[in-house]
Amino acid sequence: MDQSAFSIFAAIVSSIVLEASPFLLLGSLLSAVLAVYVGDGALARLSRRGLPAQIGMGLVAGLILPTCECGVVPVTRRLLGKGVPPGAAISFMLAAPVVNPVCLAATWVAFQGDWRMVAWRAVLVMIPAAAAGWVLGATRSADLLRPSLAMAHAPHADECGCGCGCGHDHARPGFLQGLPEVLRLTGREFLDMALFLITGALAAGAFKAFLPQSWLGLVSGNLWLAVPALMLLAVLISICSEADAFVAASLSMFPRPALLAFLALGPMLDLKLMPAFLSVFKRRPALVVITLPALTIFVLCMSLGMAGVIK
Amino acid sequence: MTATANHDGRAPWFARFRAGLPDRIDGLCLLALGSFMTALARSRLYWNFLNPKFSHLTLAAGLLLCMVALPPLLLPRNGRETVSRLARQVLLALFLALAALAWRDAASESAPGADASAPSGSLGQQPAAEPEAPVDLNPVVDGVPYVRLNLAELYIMLDKGRKDYPQHFALRAEVLRSPRLDERGYVLLRRIAVVCCLADSLDLRFLTRGEGTQALKDGDWVEVFGHLEPIADKGEDKGLVKLAPKGEGPGLALTNPKFRIQAERMERIKNTDFPYLFEFREKPPFAW
Repeated sequence: MDQSAFSIFAAIVSSIVLEASPFLLLGSLLSAVLAVYVGDGALARLSRRGLPAQIGMGLVAGLILPTCECGVVPVTRRLLGKGVPPGAAISFMLAAPVVNPVCLAATWVAFQGDWRMVAWRAVLVMIPAAAAGWVLGATRSADLLRPSLAMAHAPHADECGCGCGCGHDHARPGFLQGLPEVLRLTGREFLDMALFLITGALAAGAFKAFLPQSWLGLVSGNLWLAVPALMLLAVLISICSEADAFVAASLSMFPRPALLAFLALGPMLDLKLMPAFLSVFKRRPALVVITLPALTIFVLCMSLGMAGVIK
Repeated sequence: MTATANHDGRAPWFARFRAGLPDRIDGLCLLALGSFMTALARSRLYWNFLNPKFSHLTLAAGLLLCMVALPPLLLPRNGRETVSRLARQVLLALFLALAALAWRDAASESAPGADASAPSGSLGQQPAAEPEAPVDLNPVVDGVPYVRLNLAELYIMLDKGRKDYPQHFALRAEVLRSPRLDERGYVLLRRIAVVCCLADSLDLRFLTRGEGTQALKDGDWVEVFGHLEPIADKGEDKGLVKLAPKGEGPGLALTNPKFRIQAERMERIKNTDFPYLFEFREKPPFAW
């Protein structure tokens, strides 16, 4: 364990990317399957429902479509492209990394069966996810997504999945017929998102390897400092939503509202996600999905801590 | 294209190759990353980066990436090299270089003990907690019964406020010394606990005192037989935990603020081949 700071940096960056890659690949595969095999009309039917119903479906969709934060952005981008209303897609994107069986079970185990931590974590994620879905719910998909990301290699080909470029809607291909296109789209989507994954991993690795950890100890005793400090830590270290509960549980010197802020914000906003949001979404929606969860979680956790609801 | 077309109307092979080059480079990037992941998943160095329980996942993802690389490599579509496309290709190449460097460092650090005691390179094999582990999980030394457990297991039990931790225990750890702790007669015992990957690792530490601790060197590996003592907020214990150094490794360093280890017996052991802990149990038999 006699490692230099640069060796540690290289190992941490590598481990983050290697850990996240299977999940990013899974998200890319899911996105490609949606593109090739699912007709545009199938998911667009959701838009006939009212905004509250759309948001509600988005919030709980993670329970049947478990997705971690590493893979959720390409899936959301594809869902929006397929006509899923923004209210559902945005709330799904922000909530699914936490509101899924794997993450909730990990939280339960890490906090030794403390259901209150599990429930509060889910609530603290669902509120800002619903709020973001509400704010962006009336926006057209075309006003949400940037066209410039490499999804625009061959725009029609990607949307349709057929690759013909002829400009009309096709019958869906059979499984074997569509497989080469699924592979091609998966690779393309994965490379698009890997750019942001690697960028975030480099930043997180630099933080862990080169910045002193002593600042954490200085702020742990004061709620006003502890909550923003752990929110900042969640963003900076960019760890997976399946593992972050174990890290939070070990930070027992911090008050519980600060731990909840860490657990709620990390899966919605970190150094891997921020560049992805800024590149996939246009400026206004990107700012909404970045700032709204951070502000909401700060206000909620401070309120819960000061009111003594969570100690 | 028309200017360089052959008499049959088809573009010459190099023009076609050039038009498909960006797609081919994408394919190469995917193939390189997929191959790296596949090789790492089958390597005995995997644990330097991720918890070995994920090696099957890494292997599957690596193989899938290699498959995904085939369409752009073999059947590239024409397209131009855009700035964003070039940027992601360059960044991926830089990442692969960095990962190769990390692999080389891991290999060189593991080299001294990389012999028969290491996992045999078989797929997904989780490193044993200690390859040369004695089988007796409840040794009796000088008439005192001890329970073997790992440092993270002890730390987690205490962190959760449990009272059923073993009264006398044996654990293995690396020694960390600092001048300020030396003055008070303490050393730190540490283990790095990894849940998923190195980024979420925790460098868990206990202040330790007892006969023989001051003869230890920084970086020594020891097996300690001892018991816990509470650290008071006053008297000679006041400010003790703050003397513990931070950093010194990949994990978030946490020194237990409430308990110290009082060593009753301490033995130097060979440097462990697997300094990280990947498994933590909350009841016996512990994954010591």
